[in-house]
Amino acid sequence: MEQERRTKFAAWVAGEILPYEPKVRSWLKRNRTTPEDVDEVIQEAYCRLAMLKAVDHIDRPEAYFFSLCRNLLLRRLKRARIVPITTIAEIEAASPDTGPSPEREVAGRVDYERLLQLINRLPERCRTIVRLRKVDGWSQKEIALHLATTEKAVEKQIWLGVKAIRAAWDEAEADAERSFQALGSSRGGLA
Amino acid sequence: MTSQDIVSMREEAAAWIARMDADRWGDSDEDELKAWLDQDERHHGILLQTHAIWISMDGLGACQSHESEGQSTNKDASRRLFLAGGATAMVASLVGGIVWLGSPLRYSTDIGEVRRLTLMDGSIATINTMSRIEVKTASARREIRIDEGEAWLQVAKDPTRPLIVSAGRARALALGTAFSVRKLAQGAEIFVTEGLVKAWPDTAEGAGVRLAAGEGAFIGEDARVVRLTKAAVDRALAWRFGNIDLLGQSLADAAVEFNRYNKRKIIVADPVTGSERLDGTFQFSDPEGFALAVGESLSVPVDLTSTSQIVIGRYSNTADKKSEGYPGAGSLFP
Repeated sequence: MEQERRTKFAAWVAGEILPYEPKVRSWLKRNRTTPEDVDEVIQEAYCRLAMLKAVDHIDRPEAYFFSLCRNLLLRRLKRARIVPITTIAEIEAASPDTGPSPEREVAGRVDYERLLQLINRLPERCRTIVRLRKVDGWSQKEIALHLATTEKAVEKQIWLGVKAIRAAWDEAEADAERSFQALGSSRGGLA
Repeated sequence: MTSQDIVSMREEAAAWIARMDADRWGDSDEDELKAWLDQDERHHGILLQTHAIWISMDGLGACQSHESEGQSTNKDASRRLFLAGGATAMVASLVGGIVWLGSPLRYSTDIGEVRRLTLMDGSIATINTMSRIEVKTASARREIRIDEGEAWLQVAKDPTRPLIVSAGRARALALGTAFSVRKLAQGAEIFVTEGLVKAWPDTAEGAGVRLAAGEGAFIGEDARVVRLTKAAVDRALAWRFGNIDLLGQSLADAAVEFNRYNKRKIIVADPVTGSERLDGTFQFSDPEGFALAVGESLSVPVDLTSTSQIVIGRYSNTADKKSEGYPGAGSLFP
């Protein structure tokens, strides 16, 4: 039951928060935040999300996530005490641009292209298993049968895959801005 | 915190995700995970983010098929739909859904706004301009009520919990499919893009129709059920791409359609111009461009001087100035 709740919550985050993470990251970067600070703010924001008992009061998740990060950044800056007061004022005045879609609609998806590239860079065995699991939708058990190996061995390859993709996810922030703009300019990506 | 800390936390989180992904999660796994989460507050956030990244990869199959095979829109939509369901497949496979979020969720859009939401069950709702919807999820069923406007729903497959959409008196039932429901003053329009939908007027279930992909129906508040043409479905859903598709509609009806999306209203000054039939695809956010194109092709004047309206055609001395809203206008397709 706990596990079911956890998975539902993560699915909600995958659909509503994750697609906007690159945008929030690049906003943080534009505001004189070091890469380590960006990582920590984002991490702390996910931590705050994880503590939520329910999300039904969140009408605009991307704006909520943005405010969360903005407030965490402000707290850090105020603690640092050497930041020009104008910076703080600017950040306080910032609001997420939630202009009318279809741009927003298109932007509200994770960048599958990038994910596929990440998979393609995995070591061969790991790549095969991650592709079977995520692209073809097989279960770990089915993969183990198919490859005549143990479920434990499959789980280990999945672990390596999650780990590598997770690491690349954070590193890719440098070109996130660019890919985000590319997403925004391509129309009609929904159907 | 050192970055080394973070790296090892991420590796541990990845291991937990791989273990959850294996589908043999038990009480002892749960206890061990709880112990790990209790070790450090940051573990919660790292686990959540990693879990979400892993789940978001469920959309890859659709992306892949799109790239390599160049599938038709319909088939592609079905793949995506299947994958939207995939995100919750694990949830569905666990016995006995429970009420997780008891209170209903309400969403609304402003004029010209289109919102796309992932609902708790993995279904996706794309909400058109000026709409209000309410979403309720219970253990045995899912309910979406359209109070105003229109939504296109890509329903995550979950045979244990049918999804029922209501709009006024109209009802539509889906298991795993994609369709739109638009509420109008006199009834509701239902357009199916994928799968099968059963639609009926409330209290008159016998009058219901089964609609397959490409089919649509109008369900009146008076319990009237009218099947709509196949061609209407694609046109009616052009808004998902920010478009208004016209195929022989009158200028007056097109103006009503544009006015759904824009504060700056198109007014057709004379009924003769208003009855001209039009073809073409236009961006709903660009009424000015539409008006100028119409002005040019029909050789009628277009007045853009007011910021609150755009007047197409010339007022004749006797013409009624209210000609932009012909009686019955409100939908292009009943």
